[in-house]
Amino acid sequence: MMLRLFLSLVLAVSFFGSFSAKAETELWGDFSGVTLRVKLIGGGQYEGLYNEVIPWWEENTGGKIEIVTQKNHFELDKEIKKDIASGNLDFCVASNHTSFASQYGNIYTDLNNIMPASVLADYTPLILEHSTVDGRLVQMPRHSDVSNLYYQKSLYEDADNKANFKAKYGYDLTPPETWDQVKDQAIFFSNPPDFYGTQYVGKEEAIAGRFYELVIANGGALFDEDYRPIFNSPAGVEALQWFIDLYNAKAVPDGVLNYLWDDTGLGFASGTIAMNLDWAGWAGFFNDPENSKVAGDIGLVRAPMGSGGLRTGWSGSHSFSMTESCPDKEAAASFLWALTSNKAQMIEARGGLSPTRPAIWDAIIAEKKAEGDEFMLMVFETFKMSLAEDAFTPPLIPEWIEFTNALYPELQAAILGDKSPEDALATASKKATEIMEDAGYF
Amino acid sequence: MRKFLNGPWVLLMPTLIILTCVVLLPLLLSLWTSFTPFKLTKPDTLYRFVGFRNYERLIGDLDFWIAFGRTVLFLAIALNLELVFGLGIALLINKITYGQRTLRTLMMFPMMFSPILVGFQWKYIFNDNIGLMNNFLREFGVIQPIPWLVDGILANVSIMAAEIWSSTSVFAILLLAGLLGIPKDPIEAAKVDGCNSWQVFKNITLPFLMPFVFIAMTIRSLDVARAYDIVQMMTGGGPAKRTELLWTLISRTGYVDAKMGMANAMSYISIFLSIAFTFFFFYKLIEARQRLSYE
Repeated sequence: MMLRLFLSLVLAVSFFGSFSAKAETELWGDFSGVTLRVKLIGGGQYEGLYNEVIPWWEENTGGKIEIVTQKNHFELDKEIKKDIASGNLDFCVASNHTSFASQYGNIYTDLNNIMPASVLADYTPLILEHSTVDGRLVQMPRHSDVSNLYYQKSLYEDADNKANFKAKYGYDLTPPETWDQVKDQAIFFSNPPDFYGTQYVGKEEAIAGRFYELVIANGGALFDEDYRPIFNSPAGVEALQWFIDLYNAKAVPDGVLNYLWDDTGLGFASGTIAMNLDWAGWAGFFNDPENSKVAGDIGLVRAPMGSGGLRTGWSGSHSFSMTESCPDKEAAASFLWALTSNKAQMIEARGGLSPTRPAIWDAIIAEKKAEGDEFMLMVFETFKMSLAEDAFTPPLIPEWIEFTNALYPELQAAILGDKSPEDALATASKKATEIMEDAGYF
Repeated sequence: MRKFLNGPWVLLMPTLIILTCVVLLPLLLSLWTSFTPFKLTKPDTLYRFVGFRNYERLIGDLDFWIAFGRTVLFLAIALNLELVFGLGIALLINKITYGQRTLRTLMMFPMMFSPILVGFQWKYIFNDNIGLMNNFLREFGVIQPIPWLVDGILANVSIMAAEIWSSTSVFAILLLAGLLGIPKDPIEAAKVDGCNSWQVFKNITLPFLMPFVFIAMTIRSLDVARAYDIVQMMTGGGPAKRTELLWTLISRTGYVDAKMGMANAMSYISIFLSIAFTFFFFYKLIEARQRLSYE
């Protein structure tokens, strides 16, 4: 078959308003008569991209996109697992995530063989490395995700707060540099049930991931080199104790163990939370007076350090993959490129999301500087540094989600006082050992 | 052969084929998977026979048996409370002479909500921070918010409240149908003989109603698993497994952990629970009918 893909090595320059990103390699082609069936992650923060990129791609290639499914990532994950079981992989492109990708075996194509090297050169190399499973590049990164600490600025500027805090804790009240300081300050600011020092996501992969990053920041690890669990350690107990102390001190809402990402984001926007560890995607929402009571009063610092001197930085990237069974791989490759192109990433960056192309970091920072948008400039500069220096992925193994499902009820049990941290971690460690043994790691 | 082709089997064949395809084959397939380490993401594991390994693991799995016991308790309490409330509503509506049809329609409103929606709305009602319940209690001086969906007992009570709100009307409608079918003569005769209302209810109305009670119980015990969505929305079985029921555990094992072989083994053990409930209610139904015919 004649290669219809036409790689515009012209290195076209894409313009974004008055600013331009670095030249990129475009991947257009004539795909008239081709319809790509796609399964996409849905939700307010994700769908804006499709509304812009899909018509753009259809107009430039003559191809058509048929969205088969659009649902939240956990539901999409279940659907794709069912598709694998039934052998019904009748779609070409699907949303993916670096934390999920290794579960899906070899259903997704190795994009190293499909995407021209000049296209891949436009992405951050480390993110492409995280998008690789068993040496196969199975996803094109869309935007990256790491969390930093938002806080209400006025609390730190208040003279009474400064004096009282210093008197109680013996050091100055400044935005926290360590997680121990976060704990002190959260307890200091809390006035339940009207106001809480902080909050955390309290269930499922969310709390397991938060625990994981704190273990790393405390100098520990979840697994050894053979994937034997080693989190039942002083670093693990210290990490779990941090969650317990905040809960017992009522420095977090009582219902926090049922919270997921939306609950913590909306909680901070409600003005009843002093500090909130969250991703960049909320930044615009937090600073929008129509949605947020803390708009105009938000500070942001890099995620604090644990006792091991490392910052927390649990990270991953949303992405798109192409199925091995896709009959129109050239068209799908073109669509994958479009979804993660300069244009696409600039659209998402304007909403606060962290791009996976270095050129877009430069472009969005330049744009915010020119607009004089100090808040978003602070957001992008903080997240850029955090992704460059602090970010690390969870173990990129197929058992990650199953492992987190075994871990999180034990973390919750310790937080609620049903078990001691040592007992909870011992039980979780035993379950994790079974999972890894069953998977054949040892 | 000719005899077979002309016999009743030919007429039954379409039904048998459909039942085999829709019921028997899936049941056999799921039974087979329970003897394999089948993972959704590794289709090849469907063909690896591991005997009773999944069942052996479950027998020693305390978490599973706690969820099993909690599910039995949940079913027993929820179904009985739904029966009591449904019976009360049916008796009250049966007394009404004006507007009964309107009330019957209004009564069916909770059934019109999907369980997911019911879960969402009750999660909001019981939210510790912004929920209606805590705000309502605050008006009466309860300042400290009650963690409805965190405390072990309160979380289960909250879920049960949502389930009961959603399904009591099923009982009410079935029992109202029974009440409307009761002949008036024995009731009037009893009243003439000097029986009070309680005696009439206990000795005449209730025996007539018992077959309807057991039919309603049987139907509800079979479809009560619809409450999965409510539990999933409100607590997801947590925190710390405090509200874990078989449905949330099986769903997470099968679809999130992708361990469908293990999930099906759990399902087959829990099927005994359904069979036991159904058998018990059918037995009681037959007994109630026989008693009615003797009387």
